[in-house]
Amino acid sequence: MTTRPRTGRAFAERRLPPVLLMAPAGLVLAAVTFVPLVVMVFMAFTDYDQRSLFTGEFSFVGVQQFADILTDGDFWAAFFRTIWFTAALVIGSIVIGVAISHLMTKLGGGMRTVVTVVLVFAWAMPNVAASLVWNWMFQPGYGVVNWLLTQLRVFGDMTATDWGANTGLAFTSIWLLVVWQAVPFIALTTYAAETQVGPEYIEAARLDGASEPRIYRTVTLPFLKPTILLVTILSVIWDFNVFNQIWLVSKGGPDGSTSTLGVFTYITAFVGLDLGTGAALALITALLLAAITSVYIRHLIRSGEDDL
Amino acid sequence: MSVVRRRRLGRPSSVATVIAIVFCAVWAFPTYWMVKTAFTPRPDALSSTPTFLPLNPTLENFETAIFQAGFFDNLRSSLIVTVGAVVFAVLLGLFAAAALSRFRFGGRRTILVIVLLIQMIPGAATLIPQYLVFNEAGLLGTYAGLILAYVSMTLPFSIWMMRSFFLALPAELEEAAQLDGASTWQVLTRILFPLVLPGVIATSVFTFINAWNDYLIAYTFMKDQSMYTLPVWLASFTSPLTGTDVSGQMAASVLFSLPVVVFFVLLQRKLVTGMSAGAVKG
Repeated sequence: MTTRPRTGRAFAERRLPPVLLMAPAGLVLAAVTFVPLVVMVFMAFTDYDQRSLFTGEFSFVGVQQFADILTDGDFWAAFFRTIWFTAALVIGSIVIGVAISHLMTKLGGGMRTVVTVVLVFAWAMPNVAASLVWNWMFQPGYGVVNWLLTQLRVFGDMTATDWGANTGLAFTSIWLLVVWQAVPFIALTTYAAETQVGPEYIEAARLDGASEPRIYRTVTLPFLKPTILLVTILSVIWDFNVFNQIWLVSKGGPDGSTSTLGVFTYITAFVGLDLGTGAALALITALLLAAITSVYIRHLIRSGEDDL
Repeated sequence: MSVVRRRRLGRPSSVATVIAIVFCAVWAFPTYWMVKTAFTPRPDALSSTPTFLPLNPTLENFETAIFQAGFFDNLRSSLIVTVGAVVFAVLLGLFAAAALSRFRFGGRRTILVIVLLIQMIPGAATLIPQYLVFNEAGLLGTYAGLILAYVSMTLPFSIWMMRSFFLALPAELEEAAQLDGASTWQVLTRILFPLVLPGVIATSVFTFINAWNDYLIAYTFMKDQSMYTLPVWLASFTSPLTGTDVSGQMAASVLFSLPVVVFFVLLQRKLVTGMSAGAVKG
């Protein structure tokens, strides 16, 4: 019984079962994810449009579409808008999230539970519902936000302010919406890590006479660095791809001034029905995101290899 | 550890408590405002001076929402595609996860890395080519097509998550069973699958939330209004006479959010770790 050399897993020698077990998932991913990706690269070099959807006819246009996109002022406006809006969202939600995590460590158990419950509720609301709540709160005439701002008597009478009609205001309300829903995950993840900081280090620093901000900067923050790095990268990916909130709050308007790459691509492909150009835009967007997160992707590949 | 920790955390600062109360008031307000509006009679909601407490609470908005055109049709669509997506993503994920955790074979690492990379692809990038492929395959505007799109969106994470549950089981389990003469299939179905049931449940919840919340794919792929899902119904919620009915819309939002909120509250801890692994696409 002990003569058979162990290979770690009893199933080790079987070759057929794992292939059979993976086949269904593999087929679905090949057909519904991999094939479309190949199609996307292919379509990016064709003039596939509304007519092609019915007739199946289209022709190759080489790199013409890429040349058109790269010389299109609207594309570059959306490009830079996406970069800075993503940065504003990531910075806002990380700073608030990390601050709330630290705040939670200073609270009594009851108050901490209240904060957790409030966070979970903001986090759980489906973003379609949250966008509608936002439209209602910021509605001109009856919106509660305009009423509150008017009561402050700082900005004058804001009752009739239409947040969707002004680029800066539209971005502000969308920023608030996305940050409101992004902070809970960041705060709870960081808090989980912050409870693991060894109390002896903090106690030692305190005995050395270090101030609270200094303890936070020199003891807690270095400990939290990997966690903050992870939630930052995830936030970059999620915020870069924000679509529903922009679509449902401003539709990318006024005059396309809040349209990010995702919205710009969607309008090109599904409103203008220029699917070839849409595919080229999607390809450019995906490559851009891959470039931004390449460090993380390399880390994923390495961790995938270390795992077994 | 717990004694030391309690000492450090057990001295709540009053400044922190005040900041926390302000934070909670701000962060809970949108949710509160949604629920409050949902229970406010429609004429009261559209008043130039908002009332912050529901003075004349009513259920009529929920009635309006439920009897709004399309609610039952689109609830049915949501249930069909969500249940379909959960069943397939979890079943296919369970098999693949078993293969990738309980067997050794060449190329396993490569497959794992590919699964991780697929998980990284933004949904917006696959939307256009999927639309074209589904158009060619006659799947546009069908429940089967929508289910397939959701399965492809959630399957990589489903595999990844259930694999971690399989890896937690000791190798001796299948060794002992095989010595007793059990076939590979018997070991899987009688021993391993029942033991990863908690993983199956957690993965089901993640898949449910992703499919239930999706707006973009359903909005783009479905053509027949009666086959739209609830998020699309919700986003286009308007009163036939006077345009948008906010009270009805907020009541509908409450109803739509309820199952997701319940799952979040129940699974909050798992969600924190799950999200880090990319469980719910933003």
